[in-house]
Amino acid sequence: MHHLFLRTAVAALAVSSVAFTSCSDDKDDNNVVAPALEIKTVSSLAPQPAPPTSTGQPGTPRHYTFYSLADGKEVPYTDSASTKWDLAFRGTTILTNAGTSGPGRGGAQVKSGLFAETVAAPETGYAVDGTAKAIPTGSGNGWYNYNSTTHVISPIAGRVLLIRTAAGKYAKVEITNYYKDAPATPAGTEPSGYYSFRYVYQPDGSLNLK
Amino acid sequence: MHHLTPFCLLLGLPAPVLAQQRPAFQPDSLRRLALREVVVTATRTERSLTEVPIPVTVVSQQQIKAMGSLRLGDVLSEQTGLTTVNDHGQGIQMQGLNPEYTLILVDGEPLIGRTAGTLELSRVAVGNIQRVEVVKGPASALWGSEALAGVVNIITEKPQPGTSGNVRLRYGSNRTMNLSGTFNTKGERAGLTVFVNRYSSQGYTLLPGSTGPTQPPFTSYTAQSRLTYRLGKKTNLSVSGRYFTEGQHSDLTVTAETGAAAVVAAKTKQHDYNFNPVLTHRFSNQLFATARLYHSGYRTRENYTYRADGQPYDASYFHQTFTRPELQLDWQLKPTQTLTGGAGYLRETVAATRYEQRQELRAHYLFGQYDWTPVPRLNLVLGARYDGHSQYAGQFSPKLSGRYQVRPWLAVRGSAGRGYRAPDFRQLYLNFSNPVIGYSVFGTNQVRAKVTQLAAQGQLATDPETGQPVVYEAVLAQASGLTAESSLAYNAGVQLDPNAKTRITINGFRNDLRNLIETAAVALKANGQSVYSYRNVTRAYTQGLEADARYLLTPHLTVSGGYQLLFAKDKAVIDRLEAGEVFRKDLQTQETERVQPQDYGGLYNRSRHSLNLKLFYENQPEGWSVSARGIYRGRYGFGDLNGNAILDADQEYVPGYWLVNVAAAKTFRQRLTVQAGLDNLLGYTNPTYISTLPGRLYYASVALELGKRSR
Repeated sequence: MHHLFLRTAVAALAVSSVAFTSCSDDKDDNNVVAPALEIKTVSSLAPQPAPPTSTGQPGTPRHYTFYSLADGKEVPYTDSASTKWDLAFRGTTILTNAGTSGPGRGGAQVKSGLFAETVAAPETGYAVDGTAKAIPTGSGNGWYNYNSTTHVISPIAGRVLLIRTAAGKYAKVEITNYYKDAPATPAGTEPSGYYSFRYVYQPDGSLNLK
Repeated sequence: MHHLTPFCLLLGLPAPVLAQQRPAFQPDSLRRLALREVVVTATRTERSLTEVPIPVTVVSQQQIKAMGSLRLGDVLSEQTGLTTVNDHGQGIQMQGLNPEYTLILVDGEPLIGRTAGTLELSRVAVGNIQRVEVVKGPASALWGSEALAGVVNIITEKPQPGTSGNVRLRYGSNRTMNLSGTFNTKGERAGLTVFVNRYSSQGYTLLPGSTGPTQPPFTSYTAQSRLTYRLGKKTNLSVSGRYFTEGQHSDLTVTAETGAAAVVAAKTKQHDYNFNPVLTHRFSNQLFATARLYHSGYRTRENYTYRADGQPYDASYFHQTFTRPELQLDWQLKPTQTLTGGAGYLRETVAATRYEQRQELRAHYLFGQYDWTPVPRLNLVLGARYDGHSQYAGQFSPKLSGRYQVRPWLAVRGSAGRGYRAPDFRQLYLNFSNPVIGYSVFGTNQVRAKVTQLAAQGQLATDPETGQPVVYEAVLAQASGLTAESSLAYNAGVQLDPNAKTRITINGFRNDLRNLIETAAVALKANGQSVYSYRNVTRAYTQGLEADARYLLTPHLTVSGGYQLLFAKDKAVIDRLEAGEVFRKDLQTQETERVQPQDYGGLYNRSRHSLNLKLFYENQPEGWSVSARGIYRGRYGFGDLNGNAILDADQEYVPGYWLVNVAAAKTFRQRLTVQAGLDNLLGYTNPTYISTLPGRLYYASVALELGKRSR
C-alpha cells in the first residue's frame, strides 16, 4: 500500500512540476494573446457490453467505460486502477479518478451556467467519489433529468461539470446526449449509455478554461 | 367608437323587432329558463342561478340529451372553462388547476376512488341526471378538501308524480353500446326512481404494433335508485344508493424473463358503491334541518398473467371506504338573512398493494354561512369552515362573496376565499421500492420510521467523514410535517343582460397556490439511489378570464360562445428565470443558451386559449332537437425536450385542435325519439399525445318513453 501511494505521489509530483513549467510558459503567451483552448467533442462513447438481465431489460454493463480528457481517447477498462483515465461512464453514473473510484487526484463539481461563460475552474469545492459520487447521481441532482412518463434521460441544459483530472488538472465538460447516435429528441427506446459530450481541457494546470 | 356603434345597433335592434313578431303568450324561453334555474352547490341552499354571487354553470338534462352525451366526461368537456385532461383517467382541469383540485359530488356527496388524483369521469352515466352544476373558484368554505378549483355537483332525478319510465339503446363506432332504463313512480307518501345502465365498447388501437390496445375493451354496469318517503307533514326521508362495476381485459406484449416477447393477459375490475339516507325536517318556516349519512366504497383489482402458462406476471388491488354523517341547519332569520350551519365527522380507510397495512384517517368539521341581502340590489355571503384532521394540521377556510345589481341589465360580482386539498393516501402512506432501479418512496406518515429502519439494516449510504447514514434531515423534517395544499383565490366579473335574448357573463380569476406537494429525496441508499418522500414547497399561480355569451337567434335557436384565457406558472421557475439560472439546448444547433423570462410557457398541459361555439335548435312542438358544437383547445405543453424541465420551446407544445360534434333527434308522438350523431366530425387524431381521441365516432339511438307522462 505504501508502495503504491508513494508511486502515485511521485508520479503526481512529476506531473505537477511539468505543469508548473508549462504554466509559466503559457503565462508569457497569455500576456501577448490568449490562445483559446480547443473545444473537443466526443460523440456516442459506447458503453461496455452488458450481459442480458433476468427481466430481459438491457442490463447494466459490468465495466465502466474509461476516458482520458488529457489524451482525448478511451482507455481500456483493464487500466481502471491507474491514473490513465479522468472520467468513467456506466449507465447514468460518471466517476472521477480519486477516492473510491481510482488512484488519481480527481474530483468534480457541478455548476449551473453556460459552457462558454465558464471561463475558469473554481479553486476549491471539488468533491471526491465516495459513497456519494463527486458528480451527484439521481435525477435532477447532477447532470441529467429522468422523465418518469417517457423514461427519457436528458442532460440538464446549462450544467457544467468542472473536473479535476487524475493528474490534478482542470477541465470543463458538458454532457450533450445519452443515447446512441445522439438523437436530437430521443424517444427513450434507443440504446442508452452512449455519452456525447464536449469539453475543454487545460493542460497547463491552471484554472483558466477560456 | 365609430366601429362600435354598428355593433351595438346590431345587438340592440333585432331584439324588440323579433320580440314583437313572437306571439305574446310565449315568454322568452332563455330568460324564463334562467329565472327558473335553481342551484344548490353555490350556497348549499336553493338559490336562483342568476342571483348567486359566484360563477356557476348549469348544464340541463335537455342540453345533455341534445348533445347525445353518455358519460359525465362528455358533458363537462364541452363547457367553457373546463378542459378534459388525461392522467390515469379522464378528468377536468378547472381554472387551470389539475383534476385533483376539483371536488366531484353526486347529490352533494363526494365520489371516491381517485387514481393519481384523477377521478375517472366515465364512471358516471348521465342517463338519470337532472342537471350538472359547476361552481368555479374555491368552495372549501362549504365543501372542505378538494374544492380548491371548484365543485362539480351531479343532481340526479327525484321521483316525480305518476308512474313513468323509459328505455334507451344506443349503438356506435367501436361497437360501443349503451343500454339504459329508468323507472319513476310517486304516490301520496312514497316515491321511487330506478336507473340501470350497461355500457360496453370493444375499444380501439391508435398505433398498430404497440404493446397493447389504446383503449382496451370494457363493459360497465350502473344501478342507481332513490326511495323517498314522507314520514310526516314536515318530515321526509330519502334513501339512495348506487353501484357501479367495470371490467376490462386485453392482451399486452411484455418482455419476459427469458428476454423474448411474451403475451400477458390483463384483467382489471373496479367497483364503487354508495349508500345515502337523508332525513329532512322543517321545524318552522324559518328552520329547516337535514341529517345525512353517506357511506361509499371503491375497489379495484388488476391481474396480469402469462397467456402461455397462466403464471402470474403482476397483481395489485386498491380498497377505499368513506363514511360520513353530517347535520345541516338552515335558519332564515329574516327574509333577507339566512344562516346555514353544519357539522360532520369523516372516517376513511384504505388498503392497497403498495400500502403497508389498512390505513385509517378521521376528520371532523364545522361550517357556517351567513347569506345577507341588506338592500334588494346587494347580496353578500360570508362563509367559513374548519376541518380538523388526524393526519395533518387543521384547515380554516373562509370565503366572502358579493353581488350587486347595478342596473336591471348589469350585475357585478366578486369573491375572495381560501381553498385547500388534503394530502392524499399515496402521499401519506405509500410504501414502494422499485425492484429494477432500486429507489424507494415512502408516505410522509411513516418515512421517518422507514429511514431509521433502512439505516439499521445498513441499506443507507454512509458519509465517509462522519460514518453516519446520509439522511437529509431538513427535508425529512419537512416531510414529517406535511400539510395540505392551499390557495387564496379571487374572482370578479359581470353579468350582462342587454336585452331579453342576450346573456353575457365575464369572470376574471386568480388562484395563488401555496404548499403544493412534490417529491423530494430524504436519504441516500447504499445502491446510489434515493429514498423519496413528499414535502410542501411549490408555489404557483393560475389566472385568467372566462367569457360566455348566449344569444337567442330565433325562439328555437340558441347560439352560444365561450372563451377562456389562461396563464398558469410556477413561481419558483419565474424566480430562477429572472436570476438567469435556466438554460436550454437549441434542438437544431445543440448549443446551450440562457432562457429569457418571456419564453416561459408556464405549467404543462394548459392551453392559453380555449374556445367553444355552439348551436342548439330545440323545437318541441315539432319534436326536433339539433345541436352542433365546436370545441377548440389551443396549443399546450406536453413535456420537456431541451433539458431544463420547463416549457419554453415551440417543439414542446401539442398543436391546438378543434373537435366538432353534431347530433340530431326527432321525437314521434312525444314517446319515441330517434337520434343520430357524429362526434369529432373533422376526424382529428393525435396518436402520440392524445390517446383518448379515436377519430370520428358515429352513433344512432332510440329512446322510448313509457307510462303516464307527468310533464
